[in-house]
Amino acid sequence: MPMVRFDRVSKRYPSGNEALSGVSFELARGEMAFLTGHSGAGKSTLLKLMMRMEVPTRGEVVVDGSNLSRLREGLVPYHRRKVGVVFQNHQLLFDRSVFDNVALPLLIAGTSLKETGRRVRAALDKVGLLGKEKLNPIQLSGGEQQRIGIARAVVNKPALLIADEPTGNLDPELSAEIMNLFCEFQQVGVTVLIATHDIALVERMNKRRLILQDGQMIAGNHTDNGAAYV
Amino acid sequence: MSEKQVSQQGASAAKLGAGDKFSAYFRNHQMVAVESLAKLLSTPASSLLTWLVIAIALTLPGALYMAVNNLQQLSGHFEASGQMTVFLTTDIREADTTSLRLKVGSLDQVNKVVYVSPEQALEEFTQYGGISEALSFLDENPLPAVLLVEPPLGIDKDELNVLVAQIKSFKHVDSVQVDMAWVERLLALLALAQRLVAVVGVLLALAIVLVVGNTIRLSIAARTEEIRVIKLVGGTNAYVRRPFLYSGFWYGAIGGLLAWLMLGLCWILLQGPVADIATLYGADFYLQPLPFEPTCWLILSASLLGLIGSWWSVKRHLVAIEP
Repeated sequence: MPMVRFDRVSKRYPSGNEALSGVSFELARGEMAFLTGHSGAGKSTLLKLMMRMEVPTRGEVVVDGSNLSRLREGLVPYHRRKVGVVFQNHQLLFDRSVFDNVALPLLIAGTSLKETGRRVRAALDKVGLLGKEKLNPIQLSGGEQQRIGIARAVVNKPALLIADEPTGNLDPELSAEIMNLFCEFQQVGVTVLIATHDIALVERMNKRRLILQDGQMIAGNHTDNGAAYV
Repeated sequence: MSEKQVSQQGASAAKLGAGDKFSAYFRNHQMVAVESLAKLLSTPASSLLTWLVIAIALTLPGALYMAVNNLQQLSGHFEASGQMTVFLTTDIREADTTSLRLKVGSLDQVNKVVYVSPEQALEEFTQYGGISEALSFLDENPLPAVLLVEPPLGIDKDELNVLVAQIKSFKHVDSVQVDMAWVERLLALLALAQRLVAVVGVLLALAIVLVVGNTIRLSIAARTEEIRVIKLVGGTNAYVRRPFLYSGFWYGAIGGLLAWLMLGLCWILLQGPVADIATLYGADFYLQPLPFEPTCWLILSASLLGLIGSWWSVKRHLVAIEP
């Protein structure tokens, strides 16, 4: 069973704009892939469908065996707990410490305090911010803030990690560091999907590439298609 | 990496037993209850404003209730006694008064008869002052002899009317006055006041719901970003709702507590003057504070109103915030 399966998915917004049309692809468990395309090609919409922030107009989105179109509203939060998500604008809360930001998913899931402390420190250690847990995220640089976001996304040990332009505001060196971090998560079995327009970076990583153009997937939709690996 | 290993790792996110979940749920409630109170206390000026509005809105019907409660107690004294004053004709002779007194005293519905001679009445009358001089101008005592008749406690109105008719039929009885009419009027007024308490109470309860609802609406607006992030990382609606519901509860509960303090203050301020008036009327009466049970109801219903207000606000505004 693949981790993610899109089956002829179309998404039309109420404004009439068709963000995705007939998109099909699969992501195997433990696979890492990049999602590229010009801005407005539908990358964010595709990720939002995986988070059940949007529902497809047509077609099916299946994540970890559950069909998101048929998921009851009350079960949506439990689905989101299985998916770690990283955003370009971090979505951090500046009224609390780095530790509390990273601990948020565990707090919501009801993890014990002891276990929370252990896991948060492990996640911060992983992204290299262990000494800064008591600071406010606003005191940290853009790259460090992005790493807080990543720590928060992985603290709950999700099986699937998705990222929307995680290196959008970072210089090439920091971007490479962040990408290496994602590779490390893949190495321990996490399925990773990263939306980015940083083609140069993607080419260096030598991973599968899914390419969107005007809401259609023009490459990478078949795992056996050699052309998908750039 | 094999598929088995991966799924094991994925499952670790949900690795909580039923007991763990239960205790985690309670821990969260406990934490949110404390945190939401701490949050209100961290902005004392604006919180106090809301608390005072709630307290004043509760003090008004509370004070009315207290007043009605006290008047009811006062009317209870008279209602129970039904004491009557029997005025005798002025031409009555000493011997007749004795036999009349015995005759009235032997009636079934009479507990006690006290004879007040015109001289005694005059003496009592002059004690009130001011009148004695006027009385001294008169050649003779204008006051009639009086029998103070006390029926048993709890006598009903029909029985009392029968008794009055009986006494009136006796010779040398001029008139009988039962101090019931004003008690009835007082009771009617009290019924009106009770209705007023209910109406004012309902209106102000509605005001509290609206005030708390609006306050919660503002705090939801101020925390939109946080709510969005919480929903994004898997926070359920109940989880997002919880701090706001607790805030509403605290607004109500502490507002209710303040109202109780205000009512206590009213009691302290009014107790002295009321006691003075009571002494002037020779009544054994003092102002009762709000009893324990209504106090509990006051604080409980305030908490409930706060909860309803926040619930209403959360229901309207929280669902609109989606990541």
